[in-house]
Amino acid sequence: MSGPIGKPTPYIDGVEKVRGQAMYTDDYKLPNMLYLTFLRSTESHAKIKSLDISSAKSYPGVVAVATGKDIPVSFGILPISPDETAMAVEKVRYNGEIVAAVAGKTVEAAQEAVKNIKVEYESITAFTDPHDSLEKCNLEEQIHPHTKDGKNIHKTAELRFNEPEKELETAKYKQTGFFKFAGVTHAFTEPHSTLAIWNGDKTLTVISATQVPHYLHKNLSKVLGLPLHKIQVQKPALGGGFGGKSDPFPHEMITAYMAMKTKQPVKCTFSREEVFITHHGRHPTEMSMSVSCDNSGKITALDTDIIIDGGAYGSFGVVTSYYNGVLLQGPYKIDKFGFRTRRAYTNKHQCGAMRGHGAVNPRYAVEVILDMLAQDLNMDPCDLRNKNFLPENSFTVGEFRITSNGVRDCLDTVRKKSDWDKRYGKLPYGRGLGIACGFFISGSALPIIWNRYPQTVVHAKLDFDGRIVMFSGASEIGQGSDTMLVQIAAEELGIALDYVQVEVADTKTTPVDLGSYSSRVTFMVGNAAKTASSNIRKEMAKAIGKEKNVSPDKLIFANSRIQTQDKSIDLSWEDGVEIAMAGRGAFVESGHYISPKLGGKYKGAGAGLSPSYSFGAFISEVTVNSDTGEVNVEKIWAAHDCGKALNPLAVEGQIEGSIHMGIGQALTEEMRYKNGQQMNPNFFDYRIPSSVDTPDMDISIIESNDPEGPYGAKEAGEGPIHPVLPSIGNAVYDAVGIRMMELPMTPDKVLSKLKEMS
Amino acid sequence: MKSKITKLSINGFEHIVLVNPDETLVFTLRERLNFTGTKKCCDEGTCGSCTILVDGIPVLGCLTPTVRCVGKTIITIEGISSKEDLHPVQKYLVKNGGLQCGFCTPGVVMTAIPFLDEHPNANREKIKEGLSGNLCRCTGYKKIIDAVENAGKELKV
Amino acid sequence: MEYYHIPSSVEETLSIADNYSGNYTYFAGGTDIQIYRKQKLDTHDHIIDLSRLDELKSITVNKDHLHLGAMTTLDDIISSDIINSNYPLISEAAKSVATPVIRKTATIGGNLLVNNRCIFYNQSKEWRDSIGSCLKDKGDICQVTGGNKSCYARNVSDTATALVALESEIIFLTPSGSIQKPLTELYLPCGIKSNELDEHSILTGITIPIKAEKWWYRKLRLRKTLDFTSLTVAATVDSDRIARICLNGVSMSPVLIKEALKSLTLESLIKQARKNCKTVENDLMPLKYRREMINVYLKECWETLH
Repeated sequence: MSGPIGKPTPYIDGVEKVRGQAMYTDDYKLPNMLYLTFLRSTESHAKIKSLDISSAKSYPGVVAVATGKDIPVSFGILPISPDETAMAVEKVRYNGEIVAAVAGKTVEAAQEAVKNIKVEYESITAFTDPHDSLEKCNLEEQIHPHTKDGKNIHKTAELRFNEPEKELETAKYKQTGFFKFAGVTHAFTEPHSTLAIWNGDKTLTVISATQVPHYLHKNLSKVLGLPLHKIQVQKPALGGGFGGKSDPFPHEMITAYMAMKTKQPVKCTFSREEVFITHHGRHPTEMSMSVSCDNSGKITALDTDIIIDGGAYGSFGVVTSYYNGVLLQGPYKIDKFGFRTRRAYTNKHQCGAMRGHGAVNPRYAVEVILDMLAQDLNMDPCDLRNKNFLPENSFTVGEFRITSNGVRDCLDTVRKKSDWDKRYGKLPYGRGLGIACGFFISGSALPIIWNRYPQTVVHAKLDFDGRIVMFSGASEIGQGSDTMLVQIAAEELGIALDYVQVEVADTKTTPVDLGSYSSRVTFMVGNAAKTASSNIRKEMAKAIGKEKNVSPDKLIFANSRIQTQDKSIDLSWEDGVEIAMAGRGAFVESGHYISPKLGGKYKGAGAGLSPSYSFGAFISEVTVNSDTGEVNVEKIWAAHDCGKALNPLAVEGQIEGSIHMGIGQALTEEMRYKNGQQMNPNFFDYRIPSSVDTPDMDISIIESNDPEGPYGAKEAGEGPIHPVLPSIGNAVYDAVGIRMMELPMTPDKVLSKLKEMS
Repeated sequence: MKSKITKLSINGFEHIVLVNPDETLVFTLRERLNFTGTKKCCDEGTCGSCTILVDGIPVLGCLTPTVRCVGKTIITIEGISSKEDLHPVQKYLVKNGGLQCGFCTPGVVMTAIPFLDEHPNANREKIKEGLSGNLCRCTGYKKIIDAVENAGKELKV
Repeated sequence: MEYYHIPSSVEETLSIADNYSGNYTYFAGGTDIQIYRKQKLDTHDHIIDLSRLDELKSITVNKDHLHLGAMTTLDDIISSDIINSNYPLISEAAKSVATPVIRKTATIGGNLLVNNRCIFYNQSKEWRDSIGSCLKDKGDICQVTGGNKSCYARNVSDTATALVALESEIIFLTPSGSIQKPLTELYLPCGIKSNELDEHSILTGITIPIKAEKWWYRKLRLRKTLDFTSLTVAATVDSDRIARICLNGVSMSPVLIKEALKSLTLESLIKQARKNCKTVENDLMPLKYRREMINVYLKECWETLH
């Protein structure tokens, strides 16, 4: 490729960000803007007996007060479980749930007024443990009315192929593990923030820190009863998401409602504690998993039973339930395969999607068990994995279509770089190496809400100034999607990057994109952007060919010029633009992406379907202090197959960031609760790793050139987190001989395991 | 507590502003004076996003009482950026991919600049330690450290 | 009427303190107390900001004693050649506090007087309201033990641990003059009122009389930065072979064990430590583990000192 594709490309929004000029939602201020604050529940599960807002209403500086009854329409990211309302109606289901909202002329006025709201609760038994919630609930204590009698079960997802349980019964080599994972949260740096404006033409503009402007748009329409064409959602600069901003949120509904009600702009920005309360992070999970193999190390069956603790509402939970199971179908070929996941409602902050959605915890389990089997077979864990990889161009047992697959390259690369063969199993006590692999979707092949539209559309516009503007609904959240759009247009048109600019994530001006989740943007938006910009090129070539009397396909677009091979035609970009626009003016070309029809016919076949899958293999080196139980990750060798790195700088950044987040979940991060109340809703006690807690990293990008990805690209944003945790777990085993079955492996747990062993 | 008329020198200009005795610098800058380059992430001294220079010393805007800064020289990220060229720290953060979402970035810039002034010969380990109060959730820090290391080298030339 | 006071001399400070006795809060660096203000754990009307008391910013040595002005920042301590070469334990302890940027504001006096912490207390107002207030706040029950008499909030001063192990004395000024006494006597074994400085006095400095011939320091925490301590141990042996071992983060005040090195056995050291530390389940690191770590740390410490 002659253009910028494949070359490290600094982010186009980097300069603005580094100067402090990028505008994030909370940076906007408008005339007459009101500030929104919330009264939050102090109970985990209770009926609201009475709610008196009269003195808050009359508090000086207060413009409006609202409660759940004002906007009682339920909503949610998944159309199958819209179980949440903007504010609690009749009962509260978790500590911190929004009960009432106050819009004031100043933050202080709103905050003071909130204190004047009087609310009386009648407590209901709170279920904070998923087992209790699934088993010990009376009908009148049920968290939601729609669950089955006396059971707070939100979803049971179960799939089974070729009777794995039978194989496991008789298998000679078999290991079963019971795993427990604490909940973790995204901990993005920018707190949630939303600004809503009721415009003079009776339309609503909502500027919000969201990964999913389109789904916010749809849910706003539903909740507010406002037609879709009267709502505009804009996503400005956004300070990190990781799945934590991929739901439509209550505060977004309330802020919009208040703007409609008061006819004034209303802004709401969360405190850090409110961000923790809002959560939607990775589910606390308990998992029993069995895997068998034959004496050559070939995996013969896998079966797992999983309980995930969903918290008070649904969010992405149905998808999470499936992903916990179905994403175990790779990177290894397993023909006898089964799982059951039950998602329990509990009276805690709700869980949802977080980087590596649903698959991170089961990945830990399976990779640890494979290590145990390798041990039983006296086989190198890398060799065992090598025997089991899915081939390219194959299907998994659940009919996932595997296209490109660079997992062998990944494994070989880290194995060589870490000097595994010389060092694994041979390091002194207290130091160890561990291997693990990964597998993830490159975007979900099915949209969340079924429709007949493409999953994304991109418009490329050319005007007299020679500038290409890419119009896309894609949400830049730090992953570099804006830069990708520019790179692709520049590549297709052979022009310098600075000819291309973007207009993005504005549901009024940009065509629909479903959002930045499930690692779909590079694959889907990339393909659409490629089509849109190559269509511009075709149109230009046609016009120039006609005027210069040359076949359009003889024209080469490169180095910001348009030439024939023999340079008999040699136009500057600007001259080419003038010819192309003669008689028609500015024009727009469109590109779109629709996933091919994929998957089986059975119920649940759609979960985990993707046009392509990413693969990876990581090796961690750790030291373990056997006196204190402290684990230190010394180095990680990471190899990730992203098909083709459109921007290696961004791909490396995604892998490095995944390592950071994976180490956090493995070692220090944990949503700690006591009686439904979070004990650590701050960055003192919710411990995300700092610079000095993050190890050396050696990153290898493996390019398997996917046949359907743009230029061969597939995802890199979520896949790389999966191998991190189990490679650390397996390295701890190599170091001191203990299997950590519970995360985070804080020093107390490591020490008690060490004691158990001796 | 009653508000008080307060004179602050920010990025070389005097600002007169009504300030509550309990308010911290990040609030005054963002809410009263619209210096929104300084980011509020935790508001309790745990993340470094709101780092500001007061008399050349990096302080956390969320912990510093505004009234304390009367008579002192305040430099915010806007003060660094008002120069035509990017500071080497800024330049390399962009070039080396030392930022993704960009929200912690102004704080990183405002920590790294005085750090390199004070420790012009800092090695990688020392840079890591110097930035250990700046939480970043995107980058895994590697490219931030790369950038500060490269900026340090350039500043020495 | 002024609420925020920035005196420029110690005398002026004391007169303001006297004026608003019972209704003021000192801000030294203010890096910790500011959070108490935001969380409405400190609601005094008046703030007395000590940051302009330049007379209290000093690192001096006279007659073999090291003297630290109370307003000396932790960063000044870490970058002081005198301290690094002669009192490495002090810089080691200072380095383990908070983060590099915070240490440029945080002072040694402030760190010595840092408020005791508890997971049920150091929370937002809304958080505390939803479980009911505790003894240390405005309530009448301890959320950790369920008791109604004692508060076990932990002293988390890392520098206090080191300075106690160095037999330091503190100097404070009262309206009737300057008083010097051992740092250990400053602390009270109470989670609520954790030191005995009264409303009319101000801590002005610390005097360190001994140089350690051998020393040992370690802080237990999950991350290598920012975290408050879960257990800090500092220990010294002086030229007379007297060992001083101080534990903090595991009781309401620093616990000092002082004994001639030759008669000190590991068993008795551990026994004394366990007896004197009133450790309860008030930290995110489990109680059982912190107790085990007391043994592990003391063992390693004891081996180093010998």
